[in-house]
Amino acid sequence: MTAGQGIGARLLRKEDDRYMRGRGQYVGDIRLPGMQEVAFLRSPLAHARIRAIQIPAGIRDRVFIAEDLSGVAPIRADTSLPGFKSSVQPALATGKVRHVGELIAMCVAPTRAEAEDLVAEIDVDFEPLPAVHDMLAARQPGAPLVHEHWGDNLYLTTAIDVDFEAAVAKAAKSVTRELRTARQAMCPLEGRGVIASWNTRLDQLIVTSSTQQPHIVRTGLAECLGLDEGRVRVVAPDVGGGFGYKGILLPEEVALSWATRKLGVPLRWLEDRRENLIAGADCREHHYILTAYADADGRLLALDCEATVDSGAYSAYPFSACLEAGQIGSILPGLYDFPHYRCRTHSVATNKPPILPYRGVARTGVCFALEVTLDALARELGIEPKDLRFKSLVRPEQMPFDNIAKRHFDSGDYPEALRQAIEEIGFAEVRERQRRAEPDGRRIGIGFAMYAEQAGHGTSVYAAWGIPFVPGYEQCQARFTPDGGLELRIGAHSHGQGLETTLSQVAHSILGVPHERIKLVHGDTAETPYSTGTWGSRCMIMSGGAVAAACDELADRILRIAAGLLQARREDVRIEGGDVVGPSGRMAVAEVARTWYRRPQDLPGDLNPGGLELTGGYKAKRDTGTFSYATHAAVVAVDPETGEVEILDYAIVEDGGVLVNPMIVDGQVYGGVAQGIGTALYEEMRYDGQGQPLASTLSDYILPGPTEVPDVRILHMETPSPYTRFGQKGIGEGGAIAPPAAITNAINDALKDLGAELLVSPITPRRIVEAIGSARQRAAAA
Amino acid sequence: MKPAPFDYLRPQTVEEAVRLLATTPDAKVLAGGQTLGPMLNLRLAQPAVLVDIGRIAELAAVTDDKDAVMIGATVTHAAIEDGRTPDPTGGFLPQVARGIAYRAVRTRGTIGGSLAHADPAADWLSALTALGAEIAIAGVRSSRRVPLSAFVRGAMETELGADELITGIRIRKLSSRARFGYHKICRKTGEFAEAIGVVVDDPERAYFCAVAGATGGRPLVMETRAAPGSGSVTVEDARQLLKGAHFTGDDYELTLHAAALHRAYQRAYAA
Amino acid sequence: MKIALTVNGRPVAGDVTPRTNLADFLREQLLLTGTHVGCEHGICGACTVEIDGEIARSCITYAVACDGSGIRTIEGFDEDALMSRLRQTFTEEHALQCGYCTPGMLIAARDLVRRKGGLSRAEIRTEMSGNLCRCTGYMGIVNAVARVMDERAGFAPSTAPTANGWLGPAPGPGASVAFPDPTPAGGREVSRAAPPPPARPAVARKPVRVTVGDIEDVDGTVRLAQSFVLEHPRQVVWQLMSDPQAVARCMPGASLDGPPRDGNISGRIEVKLGPIAASFAGEGSVKPFPGEYRQLIEGRGGDRRSGSQVSGSVDYRLSATTGEAGGEATRVAVTISYALTGLLAQLGRSAIARDLARRIGETFAQNIDAQLSGAAVAQVPVGGLSLVLQVLAARLRAMLARIFAR
Repeated sequence: MTAGQGIGARLLRKEDDRYMRGRGQYVGDIRLPGMQEVAFLRSPLAHARIRAIQIPAGIRDRVFIAEDLSGVAPIRADTSLPGFKSSVQPALATGKVRHVGELIAMCVAPTRAEAEDLVAEIDVDFEPLPAVHDMLAARQPGAPLVHEHWGDNLYLTTAIDVDFEAAVAKAAKSVTRELRTARQAMCPLEGRGVIASWNTRLDQLIVTSSTQQPHIVRTGLAECLGLDEGRVRVVAPDVGGGFGYKGILLPEEVALSWATRKLGVPLRWLEDRRENLIAGADCREHHYILTAYADADGRLLALDCEATVDSGAYSAYPFSACLEAGQIGSILPGLYDFPHYRCRTHSVATNKPPILPYRGVARTGVCFALEVTLDALARELGIEPKDLRFKSLVRPEQMPFDNIAKRHFDSGDYPEALRQAIEEIGFAEVRERQRRAEPDGRRIGIGFAMYAEQAGHGTSVYAAWGIPFVPGYEQCQARFTPDGGLELRIGAHSHGQGLETTLSQVAHSILGVPHERIKLVHGDTAETPYSTGTWGSRCMIMSGGAVAAACDELADRILRIAAGLLQARREDVRIEGGDVVGPSGRMAVAEVARTWYRRPQDLPGDLNPGGLELTGGYKAKRDTGTFSYATHAAVVAVDPETGEVEILDYAIVEDGGVLVNPMIVDGQVYGGVAQGIGTALYEEMRYDGQGQPLASTLSDYILPGPTEVPDVRILHMETPSPYTRFGQKGIGEGGAIAPPAAITNAINDALKDLGAELLVSPITPRRIVEAIGSARQRAAAA
Repeated sequence: MKPAPFDYLRPQTVEEAVRLLATTPDAKVLAGGQTLGPMLNLRLAQPAVLVDIGRIAELAAVTDDKDAVMIGATVTHAAIEDGRTPDPTGGFLPQVARGIAYRAVRTRGTIGGSLAHADPAADWLSALTALGAEIAIAGVRSSRRVPLSAFVRGAMETELGADELITGIRIRKLSSRARFGYHKICRKTGEFAEAIGVVVDDPERAYFCAVAGATGGRPLVMETRAAPGSGSVTVEDARQLLKGAHFTGDDYELTLHAAALHRAYQRAYAA
Repeated sequence: MKIALTVNGRPVAGDVTPRTNLADFLREQLLLTGTHVGCEHGICGACTVEIDGEIARSCITYAVACDGSGIRTIEGFDEDALMSRLRQTFTEEHALQCGYCTPGMLIAARDLVRRKGGLSRAEIRTEMSGNLCRCTGYMGIVNAVARVMDERAGFAPSTAPTANGWLGPAPGPGASVAFPDPTPAGGREVSRAAPPPPARPAVARKPVRVTVGDIEDVDGTVRLAQSFVLEHPRQVVWQLMSDPQAVARCMPGASLDGPPRDGNISGRIEVKLGPIAASFAGEGSVKPFPGEYRQLIEGRGGDRRSGSQVSGSVDYRLSATTGEAGGEATRVAVTISYALTGLLAQLGRSAIARDLARRIGETFAQNIDAQLSGAAVAQVPVGGLSLVLQVLAARLRAMLARIFAR
């Protein structure tokens, strides 16, 4: 092993150079000969029946509507959970449109501008229907129905009850809070994009798509188009950010795939920002009524929750409309040990775009609801919120720990993460500063939030969901090239996570091959093994495990060959610094590879004829996932006059198990925090009463910029997971989970003397000023 | 999105530009394009013709007479930010320019273009109203000068005819004793203002003006005069000033504008 | 249109439609795909390039406007020492992840360290705020810029390399020839026949005071009530206002195709706000309640250019009152409501412009009054707003304030 370049090294990223020179290749950068551009006519209405579509005769051959798409099946993403109601999402609207932005017609032209000109020539005669845009209203009897035959607007209701009723009598205190998180758009800097072409030689559809899950898209496309999967190839080139937004089979992908075969030319559609904001899938819209019960000592006794998730008009493929709400019940208990629990969840259909699991999935909303309510409980009990947490956190000696919702926490020291955060943020100093008034009239507050992030969870968890895919074993195809280089092929996709670097580190740790000789191939179903793709913070666990498994096996084969060449016994040779070292000599691993390919006459006998090319597979010892965890601590200054919030300090104590590349881990956390700050303070996809989205530009939908995100400090604990190959844990999403809770707790701490409490994210200046105003009115009335 | 088709004309003189505007139906002036470009791309604006005035030499000129400086309509925010233009205000103009959108927008966005759009949330509209600036306008038949406060009729509505062009902005010089304060409240750096307060006080010229901008309509000029102790204007005073100027808006908006105005006063009179 | 410019030091000739933006020209025609498109409305900064040495948004700058200029894209910095240094620090500080914002970010960062030195981290953040990154949380970016800026502490920041005293947007007058004639290749043929009407609106003969109530927004329907008093007897006013065509004539921007047939009308409402124009063609109905001196006009129409639809109603009721001079007068109470969908609706509107509302109906009221008094109705000005659509304009304005306030 080369010291300092394997697992644990702060290795600089191999992918950076091409990006910094503008030589990455994203979907929009690809032009195929004869390619035509596509623009879609999208529904301007949230809910309407299509009476007629008028297309001028002169352009009819360049415009396609649902009736043209013969043989195309709609997208269905069902779960096997009892009571689930299925939605059917056609590629192009048939009969009815159920959200603004739904596809109605596909227009093909040499340029995007001309395709948009065609869109403007089509007239649609709509019969507007009452739209239901609020998830709580959608649950009321008599609400307009998104899918009439359901009889209501509920995809699914779930319920968990662990001896809840017994808690009420025992509780000394309880607080109930109604909390809400806004609908968000995920907004990777690159939108979606698709190029579809038909290869007549291979008789194969080739779809190049900005996706996190090329193999899942392949399966879904084959099903919708009625093609054998062997006749569908999906390529994910460089992808400009995912965050969950690109974990979906798109109706656009289906429509272009159909049309390219029909027209015999490659077709490209690039999602623009307006489409991204008004029509693309959203995330995060939760509503909670949460009661927390404590005993007289301030220990948490019970949680009782009714949660509603706005799942939009269709169940998105493959994660379904119910993953989000279903997850709430299982993760609401947080890091705490308490005896009684009840949680009901509702996945509600509305006339809005579908939702997808965004970085952190339901955890961000759950952490917000739970941690903000716990702070309220602490205030009610008259104790410090940190002390309330210390009393109920799962203790290290309880690990591994099965919590009340049957989650299996693998390892860690949660109280220590809180202790370190308290110290790092300077808790005592902040409390002292609060006692002195700020000269500028602002109010200072401090807040904590904690979470665990289940990651890399696999078969047992997803089999229970019964969604269109269930992750099983993960593979890596590894091979030496004749000149001694190493190729690694994985089915997951890297789009910012740095897998081209970190998986190289894994391979380097085992085989000692220099990094410049290791090539990661990903993002092409024709060249990589099946994988459910990049989601759920799983890649370092699953792809990392698969790369290690393949390299372990390659190492064995190398050693067997080398042992013969070095005239030593297999058990007496080892790989060290890129060489095979034996008792009486050493040779480069690359030389062993060269011998295998180029000089087979020199090889010893009795070797594995499979050679230096193989597929290794991996599944964690337990597939219930790793649980990285963290404490986020925020100090804010709130201007009670204008409602402006400044984040003065932000510190994180994070335990991601063994870190493969600490630099990349920190980058993931920083990036997650920025997104979490967006959730906390800025991002909100609002709708008017007709279901019209009110943010169609990045001026209306505010993404945090450099001045909206503070310098963040990260402290690491490294408690290995007992279940993974190197003790690593998934950490890709964690940064985005806690900021809304930590910042809201800090704001509420700052405003507690004014009697104001914020429970709806994002915490906008208007919401702050109005909360202070109504607190004043309450005080005056009292 | 991509724009609807349009034609493109590029006159080289003001005279040619106004003649084209007068004779071309459905034409729209393009200066730096930083406001019009997004509207075109979103197909919110679909003019038949763009008349690009970005290369007319006389429009990017700055002239300095004894009392005032005339800044050409197509002078960019960046040129003002960088101090490449004479500054009649002793630092006020560059300070405002620096806060407009982002550098890559300021390099092309123009002072005249901003005023022609008369967006209430735009910085120049409020700042130049407080300075008592005048707009120089050229038409086919005549040219005229209009005080900025009279030029703007309301949100995005001005006195400018379809066949007219802003040629420059005339700003009287402030004396060395002048004080000014500018405060803008935005959700995010570089984004549109939710409230703007401006205070300009030049005792030597006996000039005072306090303006509330980003109100949703034309900038509101406060009915107040400079007086000793202007620095002690309170938030409550600011609220009363706004009400006196017929500010409309809900309580939050009033609060925000009062804060902006109050802070502009504080900045103007800070030691 | 034929253009000639320099891109990354190489002379380039191009043929573009006027609507081709610089980013698309670079990407699609020159295959310089390092310039990325992230929003196409000038917010995200991914498309940042240099035009004559100054950074600019290539998504909202049209290629024709760059004729004669010198463009530098991310592909043009390979020999640039400062950019090399930034690239090295970007990778060392992990200032990029997915790479999509990176070319624009680097060009903006280079421009900043070229122009300025000695900035605090907070100032660096402010200066870099025109470029969005969704991956890194900006930590690595700020670290990298701060490091390079520190290294350059001894260097004098350089001024604009090619400004040459030109104060307008690049490239300025020296760069190229004029385009005196609209060319059919560029877009629609332009007819020179009809000059635009003058934009001066007719001044009201005498002011009619209009009282405006609060604007309500209930379930996506905006409702506005207003009233005004006309110094004419109710019967006289009713005679005019019971005629939908007469009412339409008094509403700037509105026109009916003909008199109502069986209570049904068809017509058009035009709105113009700054450079934005919409024309809603549609149908509606007229319901008179003569006993109540009331009329309800309802309608629905669409503007195909923007894919927007509006439905709304105007409900007015006349009541007898006494005028200022003590004579018979009529109070006109009007309730306007509308619901808008499509492009024009999908814009934020938190800052609805109430000052527009105050002006709502002023023109209408003056025109009604003028007609009653036998004066000529003010000809509908190009920039005039119809009664209903002034409210729409307010909604639009709120959004425009967000994007375009520069």
